[in-house]
Amino acid sequence: MHLTSKAYDVDDFAAAQELYHSNGWTDGLPIVPPTEDDVAACLDWALMPPDQLVGIEPVRTQPITAEKLAINAVMAGCLPMHFPIVATAWQALMKEEFLLHGVTSSTGGAALLVIINGPIRLEIGANSTFNALANSDRATAAIGRAMRLALINLLDARPGGIDRSTLGHPGKFSYCIAEDEEDTTWQPLSVTRGIPGGVSAVTVMGAMAPRQIMNEWTKDPREILETFAAEMRANQRHYSIYGGNYAIVIPKQLREPIQDAGWTKRDIAEFVYERARIRRAEWAEVGKGAVVRDRGETVHTALDSPDHLLVIAAGGPAGGFGAVIAPWFGSKTKAVTAAIGACVDCEPPKD
Amino acid sequence: MILRVFDPTNERKSAGGEPAPRLSSLKGKTIGFISNGKEGTQGFFAHLDRMLRDEFGVADIVYRRKANYSAPAAAAIVDEIKNWQAVVTGVGD
Repeated sequence: MHLTSKAYDVDDFAAAQELYHSNGWTDGLPIVPPTEDDVAACLDWALMPPDQLVGIEPVRTQPITAEKLAINAVMAGCLPMHFPIVATAWQALMKEEFLLHGVTSSTGGAALLVIINGPIRLEIGANSTFNALANSDRATAAIGRAMRLALINLLDARPGGIDRSTLGHPGKFSYCIAEDEEDTTWQPLSVTRGIPGGVSAVTVMGAMAPRQIMNEWTKDPREILETFAAEMRANQRHYSIYGGNYAIVIPKQLREPIQDAGWTKRDIAEFVYERARIRRAEWAEVGKGAVVRDRGETVHTALDSPDHLLVIAAGGPAGGFGAVIAPWFGSKTKAVTAAIGACVDCEPPKD
Repeated sequence: MILRVFDPTNERKSAGGEPAPRLSSLKGKTIGFISNGKEGTQGFFAHLDRMLRDEFGVADIVYRRKANYSAPAAAAIVDEIKNWQAVVTGVGD
């Protein structure tokens, strides 16, 4: 396999670190030196030639090739079996509705959340239980990091460069979660978003940091979900009032009573849609009275529709701790779901 | 042992835009203001409007506002730019 990227010969592992750090090609952590064999192995696994165009970033019209993505994936610690997920997630990011340029350049400081569904989770050894949103396993850690390194290197999303985040959040190192499909009666997220069952898929979302909730004192689905909705209302009050794709992560201890009561993900979404909303006047209670103006009675829903809630089953077996993950800024970015191993732009003719 | 490693950056970047030739004078010119729509742009552009008219003799200022402050300006706005001699785009954070 012939790689066309510029090659550098370095004396050893330490010299490779200095080369990448001194050029601004890292996230500040050590990288795996991307050698030809390792990059080629990623491309081979995904059946992608090096010059395959994965997509074109729509605002700055930057081409993203498989070779460049694979180099960044190796640097992040990805194994070849992880690479199809990285490549598909990048195809999803470059859909116009995701508004990747806005997500990555905004002062708002969003990260890219990647949610993995389907059999590929098991093949790569992703762990959907303990510590699901953090350093739960090698695969999700490396895949999430690959997304960020590729943003840094392929779209210049360096702090102070294209990335103008005021604060950012730790998910900008890596933000990837696999859904616990084995230990739930609910449909996988990907299926609720139109991907056939049994097909591996990724969903990408321009996402703020997780806001953790706790409720261990009820088995009533309405009460459990009210806690999630309250956290969404808090986000509307303190961060952004506008509706968009929120994700909620529901661990086993909280989802079992909801499942036992016969609630589906759709039932959850419809309940949360009704409950997660605030009057604009509430902004005056949290120091934002200047922008309430004469619209105090306007009601803002956290979700533009129930379809916009991403319900994810994940987390360790014990503990009533869930998470709300807010969108970057309302519906300016829309979550995108793509099947792995399928062309996201190839739609059968309608007629 | 020598390690051969590869450049992770986008070596095939699309050409970016380049600044237009500088105007020798602003006197009598039409200037476009493209706001990202945030609150902070209002004071900034009002002040700049006064400066350009009073101190530099600008003839006319055309205000346009992006519908989405995080996305590029709509094609209709970009098309209008050719009718102006200069354009200022502002972020109102």
